[in-house]
Amino acid sequence: MSTNIPAELKYTSDHEWGKIEDNILTVGITDFAQSSLGDIVFVELPDVGTTVDKGGAFGVVESIKSVSDLYSPVTGEIIEKNDELESSPELCNSDAYGSWMIKIKISNPGELEELMDSGKYAEFCQTSH
Amino acid sequence: MNKTSLFEEHTKLNAKMVPFAGWEMPIQYTSVKDEVLAVRKKVGVFDVSHMGEFFVTGPDTYKFINYLVTNDIESPEMKKAVYSPMCRNNGTVIDDLIVYKLEEERAMICVNAANIDKDWNAIKEHKDKFNVKLENKSDSYSLLAVQGPNTVEALSGIGFSSEILDLPYYSCLETEDMILARTGYTGEDGFEIFANHSKTKDIWSKLIEAGVAPCGLAARDTLRIEVCYPLYGNEIHDEVTPLDAALKWTVKFKKGDFVGKKVLMDYRPKFRLVKLVLDKGIPRTGYEVVNSNQEVIGTVTSGTMSVTLEKGIALAHVDVSNFPEDDIFFVRIRNKDYNCTRQTKAFLTGSHK
Repeated sequence: MSTNIPAELKYTSDHEWGKIEDNILTVGITDFAQSSLGDIVFVELPDVGTTVDKGGAFGVVESIKSVSDLYSPVTGEIIEKNDELESSPELCNSDAYGSWMIKIKISNPGELEELMDSGKYAEFCQTSH
Repeated sequence: MNKTSLFEEHTKLNAKMVPFAGWEMPIQYTSVKDEVLAVRKKVGVFDVSHMGEFFVTGPDTYKFINYLVTNDIESPEMKKAVYSPMCRNNGTVIDDLIVYKLEEERAMICVNAANIDKDWNAIKEHKDKFNVKLENKSDSYSLLAVQGPNTVEALSGIGFSSEILDLPYYSCLETEDMILARTGYTGEDGFEIFANHSKTKDIWSKLIEAGVAPCGLAARDTLRIEVCYPLYGNEIHDEVTPLDAALKWTVKFKKGDFVGKKVLMDYRPKFRLVKLVLDKGIPRTGYEVVNSNQEVIGTVTSGTMSVTLEKGIALAHVDVSNFPEDDIFFVRIRNKDYNCTRQTKAFLTGSHK
C-alpha cells in the first residue's frame, strides 16, 4: 500500500499525525489510517477545555463497519476541535492531512521527542501490515 | 482455514480477506460504500461458497424436511424455494436455511457455513423415521450471489438463457451443471448460482470482466440489515426461538407435527425485535437499548451505518416484559443515549420481484 507521509509532520504508532507550533500540537489521522479504515462516516471529538493524557483515548472515528478510538499523542488541554468533521467525516478520507481533529496545549514538551519523524513512520507503516 | 475456489481471484482483485466461520473470505474489495451502492443501483457479485449444501432424496423427502423445519415445505409447488428456521424440541433455533424443491423426490437445503456440522447432526438424528437418503455436498459446490437491479442484464450478457432469467422470485431451476434460484440476501433482484468449482470460476471471471462489481461480506451485512433480514448468530441463535425474532410468519402450526412444535405452541416470547433509526450516532452489535427513564431494556443485535439512508440503523431485541408503552427508545453509545425512531417496516425495500 502506497501512502502519503508529509515530511514536515510528526507521527505516532497509532497512525496519527501531529503538527507542532509553539506549545500547540494539531492532531489528525494519517493517510495510512484513513485508507485502512475505509469510508469514514462518524467522528466524535472531545469538548474544548477537556484535558487528555498521553496515550489516552480522546475521541472515536467510525467507518461503516468499525469503531476505532483516537489516542492523544501528548498530555494537555484541548483548546480547539474541528467541528466540520462531525458534519463531514468523509473529509478524513479525502484530505487526511488537511482534516485536523484537535489542537492540544502541550503540558509536557518532553513527550514530543517520542513522536516519529516521516522517515521512521514510513518504516513503521511498512512493518505494520 | 478453508479457502473457496475463488481465493486466487480475490487476491488478484486485492480483496481484504478475513477469517469467517472457518473460511478465509473477502470482506471488501474497494469500499463498503461503493459495493453497497453497486448492488442497490446496478449489480454486484458475492462469493458465498462457504455456505453448506445438503441433498435429501427419496419418497419421504418433503415429509422429512417438513418435520425438521418450522415453515410449510410441502404446500408450495415444485421449483419453489422456501426460507425456514430449524428448531430443537425446546423451540430454540439450530439454524435458518432455504429449501429448494428441485424434484418430487429430491431437495437441496442451503445452510449457514458456521452451522454445517451442527445442522448435519440434527438432521441425521431424525432420518431413521423416514424413507430418505442424505448427502452433504458442501465441499463439491461453490456458490455465487449475483444481486442488484441489473442482474438479468448482466447474466444475459454472459449467455444465461431466458428460461433461467424468467424464473419467478423464490423459485429454482436445475440445468446440466448448475442449480439456480432467484434468491438472495440483499433485498434486490438477483440469483444465487450453485455450481462446481470450475464452472463457478468461469462465471465469476466473465461477470468481473463484464464490469459487475465484486462485493464482500461487509457490504452483504449492511445490505441485509437495511432490508431487515435476520442473521444467524445475531437476531436468531441457540438461545432464542423464531417467535423472539419476528419470524412468526415462518412457524406454521397448522401443517402437522414438526420438531419444536409442542413448545412453540404455548411459547411466550421473551424478546420483541425492533427496527431503530438513529438521528445521530451509529449503533453496533451489543450496544444497550434504553427507555426514557434510562433503564436498559434490550440489546442491539445488528447495527450499521446505512449507506443508502446515510443514518445509523439497528435491529434490536427488546425485553417483552419491559417494552416501553410510550414507544420511545434510545441506543446507548459510549455512555451517551442517542434518540431513535422505531420503524414498523424495513428500513428500505429493494428491487426484488
